[in-house]
Amino acid sequence: MEDMMKDQIEQLVNYIMKNCLWQFNSRAWDREKQNEGILTKTTQLLCDEPAEHETPVDRYYWAEAKCLTEGFQSQYLWLAALDKMEIKALMQGLKDRIDYLTITGSLNAELKDPNY
Amino acid sequence: MPYHEFDCSKCIPERKQHAVDKEPSEDLTSALPLGYLNTIPGSISERGCAYCGAKHVIGTPMKDVIHMSHGPIGCTYDTWQTKRYISDNNNFQLHYTYATDMKEKHVIFGAEKLLKQNIIEAFKAFPDIKRMSLYQTCASALIGDDINAIAEEVMEEMPEVDIFVCNSPGFAGPSQSGGHHKINIAWVNDKVGTFEPKITSDYVINYVGEYNIQGDQEVMVDYFKRMGIQVLSTFTGNGSYDDLRGMHLAHLNVLECARSAEYICNELRQRYGIPRMDIDGCGFEALSVSLKKIGLFFGIEDRAQAIIDEETARWKPELDWYRERLRGKKVCLWPGGSKLWHWAHAIHAEMGVEVVSVYTKFGHQGDMEKGIARCEVGALAIDDPNELESLEAMAKLQPDVIFTGKRPGEVGKKVRVPYLNAHAYHNGPYKGFEGWVRFARDIYNAIYSPIHQLSGLDISKDEIPTDKGFVTRKMISDVNLSEEVTASAELREYTGKYDSVSPLREKTYPNFPSSRQLSAV
Repeated sequence: MEDMMKDQIEQLVNYIMKNCLWQFNSRAWDREKQNEGILTKTTQLLCDEPAEHETPVDRYYWAEAKCLTEGFQSQYLWLAALDKMEIKALMQGLKDRIDYLTITGSLNAELKDPNY
Repeated sequence: MPYHEFDCSKCIPERKQHAVDKEPSEDLTSALPLGYLNTIPGSISERGCAYCGAKHVIGTPMKDVIHMSHGPIGCTYDTWQTKRYISDNNNFQLHYTYATDMKEKHVIFGAEKLLKQNIIEAFKAFPDIKRMSLYQTCASALIGDDINAIAEEVMEEMPEVDIFVCNSPGFAGPSQSGGHHKINIAWVNDKVGTFEPKITSDYVINYVGEYNIQGDQEVMVDYFKRMGIQVLSTFTGNGSYDDLRGMHLAHLNVLECARSAEYICNELRQRYGIPRMDIDGCGFEALSVSLKKIGLFFGIEDRAQAIIDEETARWKPELDWYRERLRGKKVCLWPGGSKLWHWAHAIHAEMGVEVVSVYTKFGHQGDMEKGIARCEVGALAIDDPNELESLEAMAKLQPDVIFTGKRPGEVGKKVRVPYLNAHAYHNGPYKGFEGWVRFARDIYNAIYSPIHQLSGLDISKDEIPTDKGFVTRKMISDVNLSEEVTASAELREYTGKYDSVSPLREKTYPNFPSSRQLSAV
């Protein structure tokens, strides 16, 4: 079961790495905000829960999340068989993995530079 | 992704950390090339300098401006002969180039008087132009000429003109990227917020990091206009000086080349709360998602979808004609800049080519993260390669074509690898749905040009065959295809016009009524 989720997470990671750009903003603090904002709203959309999109920043995260959700659902049909709890666990695993790849485990020496 | 050591660079062991092979079951945390560092002594770099990054890359595509270099005339090399960032005002920015023409005596005695005289002379020579960008070069920076003070003096004497000062001499950073940073921050510090352009739509964007190479920007702006979006400014291809002073009034910054222009988006986000949205203008799928997410942001996604449906129906059969003939061809994706990540996945997914190598000349590690993430396993990623490393890579990888600039492109031609101009394009624009087909057409023409059969012959020793007739590209490309493909009634070669850009300037657009003001933006 654990192996299956790991495999599913890697499929979603691969989709993000190939199709998205938001995960690679140039500073660690920025990547933290991007990952949190977009993947949180993606989780809400996948679970049919309301996702705030009134302020400009929320609207931006939501637009990215809507496209990501559509991409996930069209590419990975197995998502439709998961219940809300399973989706939330999966998405938490995805966020942890993306955070690792782009922030905590990243070899990009510029991430901590205080200036853009 | 272990580091890759070039044979030719064994005597410079530090270079090993500037190249990696993307291996299976590894990720970006295993190895990442170093980047944006001073070139290692003993190696040779083909990079541009910071002044080049500021003036030639970002500043000069601004169309209604006199771009004055304060320095020797040689610094102004790039002009209409070498650049293809066209504009809709008869390419004013490409027709003329301006320098104060500093000589040795000015280095000794100072060149401020010379600068002032040149500024005034240039404005008098072009009385319709009231805007100027003034660039510091190495020579004038080293002697300490105060170009800001001179600009202020002129603006006091000529109140109708406005001058932007860009202090980015060539030594301001390890590569042209340092110049990108300097001009972005200088513009947002000195000019943004000093002009109030007219807002005509509920949906307003700045289109940033787009240089209008052979009309790219105009193709994309066409889509935005069809969606009822006002493009307040384009930073900086085909961009207007005063529109760019009004960037603070946009609701969204849409970003293409993050390497050259993310700085201004980040600052506008921090200072004015304008979100930054990175998009891809290349590739049917990526472009469709980009238009859709801009539409979603404004609540007009139906307008985006209508464009996607129409354009896909029109151009997909032509893209697929080339896909059938490009499938499996090996490509070195060596564009130097943002095409690294804009193209890496899209050309593989939509044209079927195999990207066997990516490189960047001036990119940071973040650019390599994007490029490596998007290319396929097995690719060789190189930071700041020199000519010898490029030749060794081509010998090892045996690509069918390289996408790069004109200098490394000529090197490729010498070893019989066709090249496609990734900077200025061969027959662009390459952005947009039609542009993507034009790109596929140019790749096809590069790979299958019959000239390559002849170019491999050494007339000093090879026997020249006289029993073979002329072959066309199609005779070479179609020989291994199935009849189902070659006889397809649906697939077809590119049917667009030679000039796909000029007609856009005459187009009229739907007048969407202003139904609401976005409450929160």
